[in-house]
Amino acid sequence: MRASTLLSESLAVLGKELTAELRSRVALNAIGLFGLTTLIAVAYQIGPYQIQEQDRPYLLSALLWIILFFAATSGLSRVFVKEEDAHTAKTLRLAARPLAVFAGKYLFNLILLSALFSLIVPLYCALMSYRVRGVAGLAVVLAAGAVALASTSTIVAAIIARASGSTTLFAILSVPLVLPLLVMLIQGTRAAAASAELAAVLPALQGIVSLGGAVLTVSVYLFPVVWHD
Amino acid sequence: MTDNRVRTALHWLLGGWMLLVIVAAFFWAPSAVGFKGESSRIVFFHVPQAWVAVLAFCVNLVASLRYLRTRDPLDDARAAAAARLGLVFSLLATVTGSIFANVMWNSFWNWDPREVSIAILLLVYAAYFALREAVPDEERRASLSAAYAILAFVTMPFLVFVVPRIYWSLHPDTIIGATGKLKLQMESRMLQTLFGSLVGFTGLFVWLYTLDVRLARVRLARREREEA
Repeated sequence: MRASTLLSESLAVLGKELTAELRSRVALNAIGLFGLTTLIAVAYQIGPYQIQEQDRPYLLSALLWIILFFAATSGLSRVFVKEEDAHTAKTLRLAARPLAVFAGKYLFNLILLSALFSLIVPLYCALMSYRVRGVAGLAVVLAAGAVALASTSTIVAAIIARASGSTTLFAILSVPLVLPLLVMLIQGTRAAAASAELAAVLPALQGIVSLGGAVLTVSVYLFPVVWHD
Repeated sequence: MTDNRVRTALHWLLGGWMLLVIVAAFFWAPSAVGFKGESSRIVFFHVPQAWVAVLAFCVNLVASLRYLRTRDPLDDARAAAAARLGLVFSLLATVTGSIFANVMWNSFWNWDPREVSIAILLLVYAAYFALREAVPDEERRASLSAAYAILAFVTMPFLVFVVPRIYWSLHPDTIIGATGKLKLQMESRMLQTLFGSLVGFTGLFVWLYTLDVRLARVRLARREREEA
């Protein structure tokens, strides 16, 4: 029997997730449609002209992250909840080591978030006439935000799947943990919109990367406890 | 029997100490310059409450880590007791902070970064209890809530130290300044009252915590007897 490495097991879990998602498209539809619906509601009711010029930097960056975060919340918990619903969690426990399961699910959530960001952010900028001077800065903030959001969402999804599987519980548990991150992401986005210099986003980026890194590291240690108990 | 006597003596000592702190806060310590009226006296209660809230969350973290190592239900009870008290003291710190804000700035809530930080901290620990309520199986509840408590604790330094420093704050300078250096430029009687209050509130926390843990120990022993 060929001994599998952690990397190959993680990629196998990711492959399984992608195949299952492409077959059902439940998470993709939930995240994409939620994001689009909220964006249309915001653009229709507020639009680019309802906000005073001096309030634009504050409101537009905050609205963008509210749309992105709540759209993400609607689909990211599924990675573990669906295993419990379909009674496939036990098989997965036998097939792969905990760290590989966490890595595979984390990467899947990261891909989902990247897809959501790629769809919503350009549309938001176009519909709300959001002029971003530092496109590179915004890209870095979005990438760091995806990495950090995916780590919190994945471990909280694992916890709620073992609790009651309720998606309401996912929002209750993840919102307080994610709020400091959202504050820093909004600040980073505002800085990127205001300045073309990459250095403008650095103060917020330090906070995002350190919080995301801390949560990811702790999650790696905690996941076996959550997964096996 | 001796234990009970020591405990009773400590309770009386704590009661007397807290009485002294209250008297000192209102009649012995002078009120600070630059604050409206006597509003600065709230510092003798607000700061110790916030300190006990942080202490309780540290105890919750240690008990949660211990539970994951020992799997002793009493460690889970210790973690829950500490979180319960942390929640109560955070709420008290929020209320006293709001009263001070209303006196100073004519508004109970100003969306100051420190107000937001404590509100999020309250949400984190309310979520901890929501999780505990959602899991019927005791062992699973204990391990999942321990995992969540550890995860929540990781975000705490960002709430308490990072976010309030990103935004401009109305909040008066904290005892530990933004540079990380101790800033204790208080009049000596104020400082003595503040430290006395910190000791008193810590004692109050220890008393309430041990009471809760003793109650949990009795419950666990009774259940073991019933199962035997």
